[in-house]
Amino acid sequence: MTNIFRLTLALLCVIFSIASVQAQDETAARAKLVQAILSEGTEQQKALTEIADSGSKVASDVLFAWTRDGIYIYVAPDGSKVPVMLEDQQDVEGRARGIRIIDGQPVKDASGKDMKFGDSDLNTADTDMRLRGEIQQTLDMLALADPDSDARSSAVTKLGNSQKESYIPILQTRLTKEKDVGVQKAIAEAIADLQLFDTNPTIQITGITQLAGLNSIGSLDNLKQLATSKGDPRVVKLANQAVGSIEHHIWWVNFYGTIFRGVSLGSILLIVALGLAITFGLMGVINMAHGEMIAVGAYTTYFIQNIFGAGFSFAINLPFSIAGRPLGFGLNLPGLNATGWFYQSYFLFAIPLSFIMAALAGLVLERTVIQFLYRRPLESLLATWGVSLVMQQLFRMVFGANNVQVNSPSWLLGHFTIDDVSFGYNRVFVVAFAILIVIGTWLLLSKTPLGLLIRAVMQNRSMASCMGVRTTRVNMITFAFGSGLAGLAGAFLSQIGNVGPSLGQNYIVDSFMTVVVGGVGSIIGTVYSALGIGVSDQVLQQQLGSPVMGKIIVLTCIILFLQWKPGGLFSIRSRNLD
Amino acid sequence: MLVKTTKWELWIVAVATVSLLAVLPSLNAFTAPESLMHVSDFTINLYGKYLCYGILAISVDLLWGYTGLLSLGQCLFFALGGYMMGMYLMRMIGDLGQYHQPIPDFLVFLGWSRLPTFWEPFSSFAFALVMVILLPAVLALVFGFLAFRSRIKGVYFAILTQALTYAGCLLFFRNDLLMGGNNGFTDFKFIAGYDLRNASTQRGLYICTVLLLLGTYALCKWLTATKFGKVQQAIRDSENRVLFSGYATAHFKLFVFVLAAIIAGLAGALYVPQVGIINPSEMGPDKSLEAIIWVAVGGRGTLIGPVIGAFAVNAMKSWATRAYPDLWLLFLGLTFILVTLFMPKGIVGLPAQLGVVKQRFWPAKPVVDESKPVVVEEAPLTKPD
Amino acid sequence: MSESHKFILMLEEVNKSFEGFKAISNLTLYMDEGELRVIIGPNGAGKSSMLDLITGRTKPDSGKIEFGRDTDLTKLNEAKINQLGISRKFQTPSVYVDHTVFENIWLSLQGSRSVWSTLFSRVTPERRDRIYEVLKIIALDGKADWKAGALSHGQKQWLEIGMLLAQNPKLLLVDEPAAGMTDEETHKTGELLLGLEGKHSIIVIEHDMTFVRQIARKVTVLHQGTVLCEGKVDDIQNNERVREVYLGRKKKN
Repeated sequence: MTNIFRLTLALLCVIFSIASVQAQDETAARAKLVQAILSEGTEQQKALTEIADSGSKVASDVLFAWTRDGIYIYVAPDGSKVPVMLEDQQDVEGRARGIRIIDGQPVKDASGKDMKFGDSDLNTADTDMRLRGEIQQTLDMLALADPDSDARSSAVTKLGNSQKESYIPILQTRLTKEKDVGVQKAIAEAIADLQLFDTNPTIQITGITQLAGLNSIGSLDNLKQLATSKGDPRVVKLANQAVGSIEHHIWWVNFYGTIFRGVSLGSILLIVALGLAITFGLMGVINMAHGEMIAVGAYTTYFIQNIFGAGFSFAINLPFSIAGRPLGFGLNLPGLNATGWFYQSYFLFAIPLSFIMAALAGLVLERTVIQFLYRRPLESLLATWGVSLVMQQLFRMVFGANNVQVNSPSWLLGHFTIDDVSFGYNRVFVVAFAILIVIGTWLLLSKTPLGLLIRAVMQNRSMASCMGVRTTRVNMITFAFGSGLAGLAGAFLSQIGNVGPSLGQNYIVDSFMTVVVGGVGSIIGTVYSALGIGVSDQVLQQQLGSPVMGKIIVLTCIILFLQWKPGGLFSIRSRNLD
Repeated sequence: MLVKTTKWELWIVAVATVSLLAVLPSLNAFTAPESLMHVSDFTINLYGKYLCYGILAISVDLLWGYTGLLSLGQCLFFALGGYMMGMYLMRMIGDLGQYHQPIPDFLVFLGWSRLPTFWEPFSSFAFALVMVILLPAVLALVFGFLAFRSRIKGVYFAILTQALTYAGCLLFFRNDLLMGGNNGFTDFKFIAGYDLRNASTQRGLYICTVLLLLGTYALCKWLTATKFGKVQQAIRDSENRVLFSGYATAHFKLFVFVLAAIIAGLAGALYVPQVGIINPSEMGPDKSLEAIIWVAVGGRGTLIGPVIGAFAVNAMKSWATRAYPDLWLLFLGLTFILVTLFMPKGIVGLPAQLGVVKQRFWPAKPVVDESKPVVVEEAPLTKPD
Repeated sequence: MSESHKFILMLEEVNKSFEGFKAISNLTLYMDEGELRVIIGPNGAGKSSMLDLITGRTKPDSGKIEFGRDTDLTKLNEAKINQLGISRKFQTPSVYVDHTVFENIWLSLQGSRSVWSTLFSRVTPERRDRIYEVLKIIALDGKADWKAGALSHGQKQWLEIGMLLAQNPKLLLVDEPAAGMTDEETHKTGELLLGLEGKHSIIVIEHDMTFVRQIARKVTVLHQGTVLCEGKVDDIQNNERVREVYLGRKKKN
């Protein structure tokens, strides 16, 4: 406990010290800026050079304004020159407050009131072309010195793409100061990219070799240009080789990207199919409305998002009327209008609620329809298809026939890159959660008393009933659990795909296939087949360049696969006659 | 002795035959449009469509009701038959299309200037008819061979057939299959030299449909009464017993599967010129499931049930999609649920089912001898004072 | 041993395991033509698994199963094996419930089993006679027009035996024919089977020891997928090891 306290304290200290250091830097930067604006010649150059290394945000704003004639000189009553910027907000006479560069405070008159100036009241701090060039260079270097490494990287890339060799010295200077490995790499790449435009073949060759070594995808176009140019034959040859090796690299990047997308798709399929494996594999019930349970989960996520946002309402008008009054019903829920991190956290609430809503829907379905159809699998298939139609229509009536917009929370946006392969946070999250769910389900079924009951009832319903197991209740729980898993899948699906009334229909065929291929009743088989189908689907899509042909081939392969192993990957063979 | 037809069924079939084959077309052709007795061209066309569905439903029932094979992909064969006929009809448009080119409009749209080779023979009506039968049959043969060889049955068979039709549907949505893609085939003009826009042509197609339905009915009636039919039903009830009695059940199932595919294909071929359009959505998994519900509603395991079901459900659909377009799917879904739960034998089985219910709640009373006065002892309601 | 020609069925060192569970291990069994053999053994001894192997429902992992002189049964499927003349009755009565008793026998009658032959097959007078002959044996001739589903449990068992007889098999495999029957029905079943002895070779699997004593000539005891011992009923009942195996089990229902 005390350790945690100390750690927190230490962290707070660090944060505060960083903040104060930055404040000090800003004050210094402002002083240098004033110096640069008011001085001339070598003194001005020296000041600019010093500013360039500061990475100050204020400095880049002021310098940018300077190049656009946005810096004015206010001559104070004592005759001193004070550089100011005018605020955007103007009064009726077109005058605005003047903000001093030196401390960011408004200029005041003798009575302590803020002074306002029009455009013509003040002289601008003039610039000539040479100065503007120097300022621009300082701006570029400022960007390169930005405290945020991502911002530095993108500044570097921008310079690298500029095709202007003149940036090379700046970049090289920066490289000597740069500590971040990623940015170092970006700078090296940018320098090499710029070297391609040198007229000296030796330098060009250095650049090409460097780029090939770095597998630089960004410079591929420039290299291709060089490879087809009529320059030095050595350069052309090397450029050709570099293009080849980078294209090879791109192939692998795409390949791994595809595999990753396949795994994440497979994870969704896995969560859906796991629910099916329980209702279909263990209970022998064909639930064609399983897909709609996914949609329940996805719409719950949408609903929660709206409750956290502007609210949710719907109205259904039935085409019937009683005593002249049209029948209909609706709902109007106010939203929490949450913002910031609270709004972003809606998804954390949506996940468990998706599970609960889908489980409840499953419970109702089990009580009203399924319970009468145990041991009549074909009939349960037909009745649940009816249920699926009804649910789809209800979705249409409540949420509209079009897809609804589910926004990913900000912490699921973005991605990280490993060796140019980008991993979206949302997909990584899905994969991680799928692993958790599989482990959880496995533990539930194999290690808990409830799991024991479930397995007992699924193996022999009447025998379990004779042994005093309340089979009705176990059936209800099992079915609700299976449906709840589908709901969870829906919540995740809402983050990487569209949410619409027929959402479930797009997944039902695939997930049935997954269970059949995996071996009915086998959870480990379901895991393998979900990943297998997900990955091969994506790989084929990429290779054939068409999602449809990929799907058709996967389906054909599944049919052929069942020739070889009719019971699926992990069949539970029975010695009984049916 | 073995061909058993109840009196009821005979009557229904006889009345239906006369009215569908003679009365309706005559009323359409020979009465004035303003006459009360007149049957409109629209009605004839609508009935023609329903009858095609009826034939499709028989093919579903032949598999499901008689052999225990629930195929969720029967519409694939229906649509394939339709597409084969559609290719012929597209050729017959000639250069009367929007682009006035000698090849179908969609090919012009896709940048073709010449007919693809596999389209060439479809200028012949005979070739198209052969393909109407051959394509569904060959596909059913290959798929059925694979499925039955590895003993896929019951629910697995249902799921695989659904996957098959789903795959077909996806395939036909593609433009580079050169089968019209998303929009399929439409704007037909002529069939075998007759103008499709003439009422008489439509009437002729209608009569062909009635004849095909009767033929299918008779064929299935005969088939289900033969020893083959008995084996077929035995497979439904106890496949292992049949297998261990020396019958290679896979061959029997394959035969029925292919036959049902051919019947469905023929129905599709007659459907397309009457409806005037064929597109990939006809192959969607939902269409096949809809066909299953016709059979379930009408009564599976009978031959008139599916036809009655196809008529009843589609008549309801025509009415409901116009009257309550938003609620139609709710109706359909609820019908599905209620029929499965409460009417396992469908409309045809309803009289028997009602009989059972009646027996339970109002059991037939033993005859009371009325000559004997019934003495009711008067019990004192209140204690005497 | 295998040079001898009088065996109708021969299993030699047959092994079969399911998911690691050894259902049949090193099973060796010879049957003479016309013999009525009773096989007993506790639950899980591999009795039904043995029938599965003979009838082609499952294939052995190793070992030889031969029928008649030299027909290798391990290469054939269920239908082919049945056409050779091996018929099997299942543990639970398995008849075509929607067909009449007559049709049940008709479908089982010896003859071609191809799709085409069934399409054009007729009930000829000879076939009708043969059907009624079988029905008489199983005492169901009065119920030829009944739906099989309407029969009692015992009658269904008999109907299934009748369906086997109609196939005129060389070898009959009968799995627990007396299960769920009254004492009287059980006795009648015993007589029925005894009447078939000599005309057909028969393997009967049974638990009911009264029934076993009624029909048994030679008894084979299976235990853990292999033959524990073979011999006459009395010898078997006095065998120490058999007792051990059955210890604590009721000998009669």
